[in-house]
Amino acid sequence: MSSLLLNPNRAFFPLSRQVLEASFSSLCSISNARIPLGSRPTAHRVVGFKPRASRDSFDAEALPESNTKKKSRNNNKKIILFGSTPPPLSEERGGSAGNASGKPAAEGSSWVFLQRAFKRVLAVLSNLPLAIGEMFTIAALMALGTVIDQGEAPDYYFQKYPEENPVFGFVTWRWVLALGFDHMFTSPVFLGMLILLAASLMACTYTTQIPLVKVARRWSFMHSAEAIRKQDFADSLPRASIQDLGIILMGAGYEIFLKGPSLYAFKGMAGRFAPIGVHLAMLLIMAGGTLSAAGSFRGSVTVPQGLNFVVGDVMNPNGVLSFPSLAFDTEVHVNRFYMDYYDSGEVSQFYTDISLYSLDGKELMRKTIRVNDPLRYGGITIYQTDWGFSALQITKNGEGPFNLAMAPLQLNGDKKLFGTFLPTGDADSPNVKGMIVIEDAIGSSGLDLKTDPGVPLVYAGFGALMLTTCISYFSHSQIWALQDGTTIIVGGKTNRANLEFRDEVNRLLDEVPELVTIDKNFNG
Amino acid sequence: MIFTTLEHILTHISFSIISIVITIHLMILLVREIVGLRDSLEKGMIATFFSITGLLVSRWVSSGHFPLSNLYESLIFLSCSFSIIHMISKMGNHKNDLSTITAPSTIFTQGFATSGFLTEMHQSAILVPALQSQWLMMHVSMMLLSYAALLCGSLLSVALLVITFRKNIDIFCKGNNFLIKPFFFGEIQYLNEKRSVFKNTSFLSFRNYYKYQLTQRLDYWSYRVISLGFTFLTIGILCGAVWANEAWGSYWNWDPKETWAFITWTIFAIYLHTRTRIHIRSRTNQSLKSTNSALVASIGFLIIWICYFGINLLGIGLHSYGSFTLTST
Repeated sequence: MSSLLLNPNRAFFPLSRQVLEASFSSLCSISNARIPLGSRPTAHRVVGFKPRASRDSFDAEALPESNTKKKSRNNNKKIILFGSTPPPLSEERGGSAGNASGKPAAEGSSWVFLQRAFKRVLAVLSNLPLAIGEMFTIAALMALGTVIDQGEAPDYYFQKYPEENPVFGFVTWRWVLALGFDHMFTSPVFLGMLILLAASLMACTYTTQIPLVKVARRWSFMHSAEAIRKQDFADSLPRASIQDLGIILMGAGYEIFLKGPSLYAFKGMAGRFAPIGVHLAMLLIMAGGTLSAAGSFRGSVTVPQGLNFVVGDVMNPNGVLSFPSLAFDTEVHVNRFYMDYYDSGEVSQFYTDISLYSLDGKELMRKTIRVNDPLRYGGITIYQTDWGFSALQITKNGEGPFNLAMAPLQLNGDKKLFGTFLPTGDADSPNVKGMIVIEDAIGSSGLDLKTDPGVPLVYAGFGALMLTTCISYFSHSQIWALQDGTTIIVGGKTNRANLEFRDEVNRLLDEVPELVTIDKNFNG
Repeated sequence: MIFTTLEHILTHISFSIISIVITIHLMILLVREIVGLRDSLEKGMIATFFSITGLLVSRWVSSGHFPLSNLYESLIFLSCSFSIIHMISKMGNHKNDLSTITAPSTIFTQGFATSGFLTEMHQSAILVPALQSQWLMMHVSMMLLSYAALLCGSLLSVALLVITFRKNIDIFCKGNNFLIKPFFFGEIQYLNEKRSVFKNTSFLSFRNYYKYQLTQRLDYWSYRVISLGFTFLTIGILCGAVWANEAWGSYWNWDPKETWAFITWTIFAIYLHTRTRIHIRSRTNQSLKSTNSALVASIGFLIIWICYFGINLLGIGLHSYGSFTLTST
């Protein structure tokens, strides 16, 4: 994954050390051969790296050596002192705007004006306090949406928020209905805030996060002990070799770059890219949600056992982009509807045996669905959501069976009540004598049908969001070291896990072997 | 039958152990230092963890479904999560202050769960059809783990605010014993930290320096724990959405519980965003940044309780499994 995110055209990032060794082995022979390997058998794995000779293979941004342009020096400083602001937008934009306007100079100032306006809007939108304010507003609106009852008739609001006695002194039904708070989650206010947040997300990702990634990918060796000592965490090892440090860091999962007396190591670069992934995943989810809201169909039907219906008849479009598909021409037969019970008599599960037929009578699919296990066909999903009684089959004195239709009665609460009536014929005869045996209760299954084109997009966004949120927990740690005589000066920083980083580096530095005898030829 | 007695025993064991452990720890801190009991907290929490897990497992076996179907079971799971967090934070040997938060939280949730408010839920009940799904385990357990982590993190932030503004609180309630509790808690943190700092290094004893160190550590640990909790919360909400799509046909219904979970998510996203250093150009004041984010996390504390508990009190919507009435019927 990192190969995609890092600059794909450049081979200088050592994703496979073998490749790098092959190409730079000639350049590295100097730094490798001089060190008395002796008891350190794997020292040759630490790759030396000489960017000077291959400068022409870099692009202009990625020059780590000292005497380069001042701009990259500034950018290098951005790595070291991360507390400062990112590269000022106007400087880079001014450069690119200048280039862009240089070309179509003849096309006049309107194009340039539009570009400048766009950049200004971008700068405003990517302001972090604005984004935080938007998030607060959205949270407050959502909270309000749970407090105010949604989706009721206007009369309800007239009674609940009367003008004569306003809630909190000023909230009357006029406020509620005018601002659309009775259907908060589809109201223009709420959707407008969401759109604004999406725009801020896009602007922030483009203007702030992507340049940060570019900055983080660039790195440089530090050649002076003062620069290293200025890091968040700095230490020095009095008698040690920098190769040993490199090996130990490599064992701890760092990627090492060694050039002469300088060393650079990093770990956890993914933790820098992941926040971009988070924002992109959220945009994906929002796009999918918009598609769902605009292009889905829903339908709900209660079908007595044994009857059937056509899908297209029961589906209602939800938005402007809803187009019926070919699968809408299927017939749905409810073959059987039954329930399982626990020993206590409560229902354990509802089952409906469904067959799908095409319009010319061919059976396409058959499945028994239950709650949490829907039927999927051609983009349509059929869910088991409800149940009812359609008829009671009785015999009277052995005669029959008669089917008596049942109808639901009003009852508050979870339980349902169904009633039917027995036609007795003569209205004056008070008694009905005889034995009535209930043979069977014919149930009817409540099914919900749905087609939603945005679901794949939304699921992809969900998966990406889960993954990138996990990854952005990791911390990007960087360590610089310089061999100064027989002392190593080590400095490092990390963007998230400060205290743990300190402990980890302390532990690693404790493992670096101390040189007991000093080799006279040993000068790093 | 054996499982109900086992449950009963384990419930009592877990509550007793953790009360004893907390009492010992408070005594050590405030009254007198008894060296032999120093690590009793660790062992006690491990014992509590095992007994709570045993409780959950025996409920699982006796009822046949994963023990997360009503408020009682979810509270037990919450105390289990607190003890898990405690143990994980001690595993890395990082010398953090989380134990001050996790241990009392465990006892509060365990105490409330086993108290008289919820007795009608103590028997394991059958699972309604809508909850018979594999997603139950994943979604609800992730949500509870995230609640535990976020509660810990936000309590650490509250502690940070209390310690930072202790002087103001002192002035405010001079002679007023009502607010003894907040800076009593701060005192505990303070003493705990002072001891652990002494163990590591030898510093000049400047009170301000200790306070600075303490706030730094609280800030850092609050950040790490909340990040972890935020990850779990994201996974939990998204699992819930996928489950809703499987069960009811739409992945987001603006159900009160869903909405409040999303509000919690938003508040903690704001918390994470107030910690980035990008927008603080003129004032690179570390303490200001940490107070801002601590304020947001404290708001988050209230929001989590509304989300978890308040909505259940209303008892409406698709998530009504967790509801209960305050007057026991």
